[in-house]
Amino acid sequence: MQDFIDLLNRVTPDLLQGTMVTLQIAAVSLVLGMIVGLPVGVGQVYGPVWVQRILGAYVTLFQGTPLLIQLFVVYYGLPDVGITLGRLQAAFLTLGLNSAAYQAEYLRSALQSVSEGQMTAARAIGMNTRQAIWSVILPQALRLALPAWSNEAVAMLKYTSVVFLIAVPDLMGQAKILASRYFAPIQIYLIVAVFYIVLVGIAYLILTLIERRLRIPGLTGDAR
Amino acid sequence: MTSPILRIEDVHKSYGSLQVLKGVSLTVQPREVVVLIGPSGSGKSTLLRCINLLNPPTKGRIWLEEQEITAPGVNQDRVRQRIGMVFQEFNLFTHLTALGNVMIGLVKVRKMRKNEARDLAMFELERVGLADRAHYYPAQLSGGQKQRVAIARALGMDPHIMLFDEPTSALDPELTGEVLAVMQKLASEGMTMIVVSHEMGFARQVANRVAFMENGVVVEEGTPQQLFEQPVHERTRAFLRNIMQ
Amino acid sequence: MVQDLLTTFTFIVQGLWVTISVTAVALTVGLALGMTMAIARVYGHPAVQMAVSAYSVVIRAVPVIVIIFILFFVISRYINLSPFWAGALALGFASGAYQTEIFRGAIQAVQPGQMIAARAIGMSRLQAIQSIVLPQALRLALPSWGNEATLVLKDSTLVFAVGVPEILRRAQQVSARTFEPFLAFGVALLLYLALTLMTTQVLRWLERRYRLQM
Repeated sequence: MQDFIDLLNRVTPDLLQGTMVTLQIAAVSLVLGMIVGLPVGVGQVYGPVWVQRILGAYVTLFQGTPLLIQLFVVYYGLPDVGITLGRLQAAFLTLGLNSAAYQAEYLRSALQSVSEGQMTAARAIGMNTRQAIWSVILPQALRLALPAWSNEAVAMLKYTSVVFLIAVPDLMGQAKILASRYFAPIQIYLIVAVFYIVLVGIAYLILTLIERRLRIPGLTGDAR
Repeated sequence: MTSPILRIEDVHKSYGSLQVLKGVSLTVQPREVVVLIGPSGSGKSTLLRCINLLNPPTKGRIWLEEQEITAPGVNQDRVRQRIGMVFQEFNLFTHLTALGNVMIGLVKVRKMRKNEARDLAMFELERVGLADRAHYYPAQLSGGQKQRVAIARALGMDPHIMLFDEPTSALDPELTGEVLAVMQKLASEGMTMIVVSHEMGFARQVANRVAFMENGVVVEEGTPQQLFEQPVHERTRAFLRNIMQ
Repeated sequence: MVQDLLTTFTFIVQGLWVTISVTAVALTVGLALGMTMAIARVYGHPAVQMAVSAYSVVIRAVPVIVIIFILFFVISRYINLSPFWAGALALGFASGAYQTEIFRGAIQAVQPGQMIAARAIGMSRLQAIQSIVLPQALRLALPSWGNEATLVLKDSTLVFAVGVPEILRRAQQVSARTFEPFLAFGVALLLYLALTLMTTQVLRWLERRYRLQM
């Protein structure tokens, strides 16, 4: 037991450093995913057919393949065609584009579940289609998509762990170094598991709080 | 005689091969209340949606206050601002309070400043007797209250004419009274209204004119007294017999 | 160029079978675990229910790759198992937690009247679960289970990290030889895309076939 506590004391600083990298990647990916995912989701519903097709193909490509392989294509493959990215840049880009595909998909189904009468009523008071989408349909769809978005945020937090496979020093990356330094892989990875449980727990609490804050009677998109 | 506020001339509307309106003509004078009756599927609601160009007619012409709104190049959004519409299913914006529902058109379409819009919206809610429900969300209101908010939302745009598409059909019977009372008050204030309704009592009391539609045409029209007591056409008589039972 | 593509493709495609096997083993292990846990979670002793909930919550809060690493090192310390089996079992153990939630939800979605009616005609509790509740629950679970199946299929590439020669590992090996990583990983990506699209089609067909009118 004493051994374990000693180990814990020795590895915690490095693991905390890795945690910061993990959080950074998760945050950047989610924000990038939102910036890209929002127009993609809207375009998939309201865009012209050819735009819908292209966006649909993008979503299928990113949802239909493993994140890890996407990461390898971007980090190891793209230099082949002249685009060289740093490890962190590759992680941000891949996870961001991946998250965008999922966020777009949640937004798309939320947009489609807003009843048609809302658009009709908005047009009837003289709004044009763009105004109606922006100030009537989208605000409702975003609230409906919130539970699914929370799930995506937690999933993204966990999936950042694959970036250590392109040698990004995230929580898992630090763990791998420590595991070979102290010859104690099982203990180290168990400690890392606890780190993730705490992170996911905190994220879950914050997201639940946000959902409660933004709740509107009659508008709940409980996907769970 | 003043010029008509709305003139509909030989309006047709078809969806693919399905003809819903087969040549409807109707003229409405300012301050007039016209009630459209007729069996379901006769084209009443479609006619309303043609008038405010939500579903523009496939043939025929419509003038609103001497402007032909079916002419090419007309800004349809501007036209709709002058025509208020109330729907059977209310269609209140779910994410906004009663006040927000009335305000949003004022802010986004009429480009009013927020506090100005808030004052006007409160005034409109008072007009329909719901100032005390201003901060309730649609899900927290009864059906009758929702419909009154919807009326206030339409009124906020300062419409020159109001279209009501079966405004009480989705309501429990005990809630129709409050909505009809608001509509009656509007009529007495001089609002021009076209109302699709099955409320014969309302038609008798409030309407200046009743038009009976069937199969995409206006079969006959006249004062409530003429139409209800001495209908000329057999089809009108049959419909009235059915509905009075 | 065409020659490179052919070499790359034929090399990587040999990992396809490994990917499918890992997925199949993991899904089967997860299915057995998930069903047992779900039944225990719904019908078990309160203490058992608590234990199952804890397993499910904890496992689902940890990234699959971490679970694979822990179990890989635990298994390889105590028993002599190949990376393939260690990786596949670990993936199955993780999927078990997700499948527990899927089947729990499905069992709870079966109307309580079904159980009461089964007991009323003299079935024991176990008989009722086995021949009335579960057959309905399994059909209800099919859409979510299909979703989980494609997730496991995609997660199966994580066993790459413990050295299993699945699609991604093969792609890495061939790219080290041809010095064409874009081609290699691109082929791996498209191979996976074909695999998931095919799986989705099969699952959709299954769903249509076993849809329950209720």
